[in-house]
Amino acid sequence: MITYCASSFAIFILLVQPAFAGKVNGTLSSRLDFYPDHSKGTASEGRSAEVKIDAFHDFDENRIVGELIFRWDEKDSGRRITEARQAYFRSPFAGFDVFVGNRQEFWGKAESKNVVDVINQSDAAANEGKSGKLGAPSISAEGYLDIGDLQLWYISNFREKTFNDSDAHPSNGVPVSSAQYARKDGKDADDFAVRLSSFAGDWDLAGSVFYGTARDPILSLNSNGSALNPYYALQKSIGFEAQYTGNVTLLKWESLHGTQSSLIGTHDFTAAVVGFEYTYYGPFETIWDIGLIGEIQHDDRPQAAANQFGVAGIRLVVNDIADSNFLFLASVDRKTDQSFVSLEASRRVNDVTSVKLTSQFYNARSATSAFGQLSDDDAITLTLNMFF
Amino acid sequence: MKFATITMFVTLAFAIITTITFATPEKGLEIAIEADSRDKGFGDSTAQITMILMDKYGQSTERTIRNRTFEGDNEGDKSLVIFDSPGDVRGTAFLSHTKKSDSDDQWLYLPALKRVKRIASSNKAGPFMGSEFSYEDIASQEVEKYTYNFLRDEELNGLDCFVVEYDPVDPKSGYKRQIVWMDKSEYRVHKIDFYDRKDALLKTLTYEDYKQYLDKFWRSNRLVMINHQTGKKTELLFADWKFRTGMTERDFEKSALKRTR
Repeated sequence: MITYCASSFAIFILLVQPAFAGKVNGTLSSRLDFYPDHSKGTASEGRSAEVKIDAFHDFDENRIVGELIFRWDEKDSGRRITEARQAYFRSPFAGFDVFVGNRQEFWGKAESKNVVDVINQSDAAANEGKSGKLGAPSISAEGYLDIGDLQLWYISNFREKTFNDSDAHPSNGVPVSSAQYARKDGKDADDFAVRLSSFAGDWDLAGSVFYGTARDPILSLNSNGSALNPYYALQKSIGFEAQYTGNVTLLKWESLHGTQSSLIGTHDFTAAVVGFEYTYYGPFETIWDIGLIGEIQHDDRPQAAANQFGVAGIRLVVNDIADSNFLFLASVDRKTDQSFVSLEASRRVNDVTSVKLTSQFYNARSATSAFGQLSDDDAITLTLNMFF
Repeated sequence: MKFATITMFVTLAFAIITTITFATPEKGLEIAIEADSRDKGFGDSTAQITMILMDKYGQSTERTIRNRTFEGDNEGDKSLVIFDSPGDVRGTAFLSHTKKSDSDDQWLYLPALKRVKRIASSNKAGPFMGSEFSYEDIASQEVEKYTYNFLRDEELNGLDCFVVEYDPVDPKSGYKRQIVWMDKSEYRVHKIDFYDRKDALLKTLTYEDYKQYLDKFWRSNRLVMINHQTGKKTELLFADWKFRTGMTERDFEKSALKRTR
């Protein structure tokens, strides 16, 4: 309740405050999706637009921050959203920065997947990658101690993962019904998390503890196969993160260990991503950077698309005036013979406009495997961003 | 006669060798130390920067950034660069902890992800924001990062200058050497010729419009970098310099990146 009031009040202040000791910025994104392999009865293309308003206002030692999202989609109601991704007060108290309201916080080191990133729910329907998140209604504190940065989190309300419509993409073609919870308070159950992060020399390290509702639901078909039931388990976990930053090589470790309590009982789990990124600076007498990425994902939770993925990727940073970037990633699960390939390319058009082209392709031998169910969800997406 | 010739030759050779290996490096180092010591004590500073990138056809594009610097005691300076435009990089911040004799520590804050990312600092020779300035050009200059050779005295723009060769210690530097023109009265750098790894003239940087702050610290308000090999040019226009603003070391820690606005 406190967090809801705080975020509402933060939004109100930011909207009505005429003389800002801060800033207001906006981004208007329009997006076209094409689905070359769409199956009958599903969308062949999609059109959507998103307005994002970023604002902050400082007074004394305090700050109000707002990041509001309004997304409209022509056909897919799952992608439509009005969201306060951030709407909080920040104030110093007893050597800590205390935040009340909706916040977005990133934990993790890896490139292809962040298993320790537990604070925010994913706005999966946005299909925007890692930045598509829902604000966590919370009271949190950050202290900057000699041993590192300490974060304490109390998350007062659970946010459900968003899903695309069953005739939209990506979707496995079955509507998602209302959620069920392992915890008796359901959406009102409280989550708690603590993280300590630090760095020494070439090493960045972090450790975290989480007690709360698992962010990713276990999806199961109902008895007549007409709907998918999302079931949110209780998760108790500890997370570890490490990155070694060498001259041209980054080594990354991210792991989450714990128990998950669901309808099928309480089970231990481990999820981890381990890998490297090696960068060639200025190869072939150019000013490019070419990064080679290799990661191994392991996740033995029932929510995971597979137990293990091998991920290989190439990042190209052209270092031109238009900031042209390319990222190619391929994830392969050899056991069930399924793979996912993504390609992202972006560049600036002018000072207020940028353009991004992304494509996603799913391949699977078995139609019942995780990616097999997404076989008609290959997508090519063009996004135009305008900044004001 | 023969003996006298040999003696003269040996004496001359000795004089040349000592000049090359001892005298000129020492004088070069002395000049670099003096220039460094004259800038000691500024505490911290902030400035607004407009970066103008021009291609060889004269077409230009602008970026606006803010710079915050915190003077280091035993280690190098810490600096924070915040991007205000163009729109797609708005809110991105770059934090660098300069090390005198080791690789710098660098982090990038990506506002869309709220992610602080440690990055490898060996990309010294790479262009900063697509400009003609490389990361090592914008990094804080520490005496220990070069070896020196005093070359000659020379007049530049009516000012008596030392001309000193700076040889980067780090093999990952994009330069074999830099030739630096520094005025004798205030030890301000006025011009640098950068030679690439093949010892070909790559870029020339000129420092213009010097102003003195707090009656001590000189800052150039216009830096012009010309790339002779590509014909491209980048200008940095500085404005609104502020010193001793009350920032603390905490404002330059990794955790501060997220709070930066």
